Amino acid sequence: MNEIMITVLAVFTVLIFYDLQRFIRKKEPARVFAIYIFLMGVSLAISLLLISGRRPSSPSQWIEAVLRMIGVVK
Amino acid sequence: MEKARISSTQLFLLLSGFLFGSTVILAPARGAKNDAWLAMLLGGAGGVLLMWIYTAIALLNPSKTLVDILKEKLGKVAGNILAVLYTWYFIHLASLVLRDFGEFICTVTFPETPMAVVIGLFALIMVYAINSGIEVIGRLSELLVPVIPLIASIISLSFITVYDFTAFLPILENGIKPVLNTAFNFITFPFGETVAFLMLFPHVNKKEKLKKVVLVSAVVSTFLEIILFFRDIFVLGSDLLARSSFIPHLTSLLIPWLNVEPLVDINLLIGGGVKISVCIYAAAKALSQIAGIDDYRTLTGAISTFCVVLSIWEYENVLEMFNWTEKVWPYYSILFQIIVPLLLLLFSIKKGKPSNAGAEN
Repeated sequence: MNEIMITVLAVFTVLIFYDLQRFIRKKEPARVFAIYIFLMGVSLAISLLLISGRRPSSPSQWIEAVLRMIGVVK
Repeated sequence: MEKARISSTQLFLLLSGFLFGSTVILAPARGAKNDAWLAMLLGGAGGVLLMWIYTAIALLNPSKTLVDILKEKLGKVAGNILAVLYTWYFIHLASLVLRDFGEFICTVTFPETPMAVVIGLFALIMVYAINSGIEVIGRLSELLVPVIPLIASIISLSFITVYDFTAFLPILENGIKPVLNTAFNFITFPFGETVAFLMLFPHVNKKEKLKKVVLVSAVVSTFLEIILFFRDIFVLGSDLLARSSFIPHLTSLLIPWLNVEPLVDINLLIGGGVKISVCIYAAAKALSQIAGIDDYRTLTGAISTFCVVLSIWEYENVLEMFNWTEKVWPYYSILFQIIVPLLLLLFSIKKGKPSNAGAEN
């Protein structure tokens, strides 16, 4: 499990460094950084939870729960 | 706006590739069993109507993407909220197709390879294609999408001597209800998903051909899928058809003197590739328009990474995936595929004349 976690962290580090140096060089506005960090942060957090075996309930389950609550899906 | 242009042929092939997408492995009308062809005919007719609505919206709002139209017709606040929801929908759709692809490859072709690796590598190629621009995706579809019917024909013709032409009988054995339910599912998957093309239509160079191209691709895709259904049921029979997971793949395995299994993989790579790249492109472009970012390419890496993680997070196993796609997806999609586009069409017709006059001036 530790090996997989280290691999995932390494992949994310490479991706983030590659993109961020590109953003800094192009002088992208702050909102690009904000959206990027939000998406990558959520992705990294979910990846680590999945690897550690603590899978949070997924958007599909939330959608299904909402549709059941409304009575659309039985 | 990005100045990229795609031709009518490229749009036709992009749409056809998108419509084949994961349907080349998943057989979306399986719920109707023997009568799936009837459900496909009805669903195809509904799909054509739905795609006509999307085209009409695009023609009434020339040079405008879905996000522009939402903001213009529904106001800034409601428009932006719906635009964010659509961005989510495109990301979700891309992740579902990635998962279909991953499940198929890891079940039948590379059972020892972790799904994250398969999906991640595929997404990496998609990011490269999307960052190259919509023109490159269009040219790629010109090169690759014609291979899909070619491969389908090779597999279909290989079985011509063993077809049981009565396998689809009796008609309406279980009544009309499963047919109608499946027809509705068939409208939402794959036809309704072409709502993502509202982000691409402004790039089409000949707008006058838009309606014709969209309708022809919808009709051609429907007929190809009906032909594929008949091939599968003639070869497998209705019982095996209802019980198998990846139907076209199972059919391809039954040719005794020829191994055509990789050809089904190629079909999925092409169809799935087109669908994922269109969805991620639409999501990146929508998000960049909402946030006021000039170049959509800055966000493709982050969106694709999120799609990969979402695709693995989404379901625990393949059965959960099939169940959700069949029972929840059609109802979840109603808002994005039917209600909002109908509202936009109404508002566009109502406000159409002044804005058209403005465009002409």
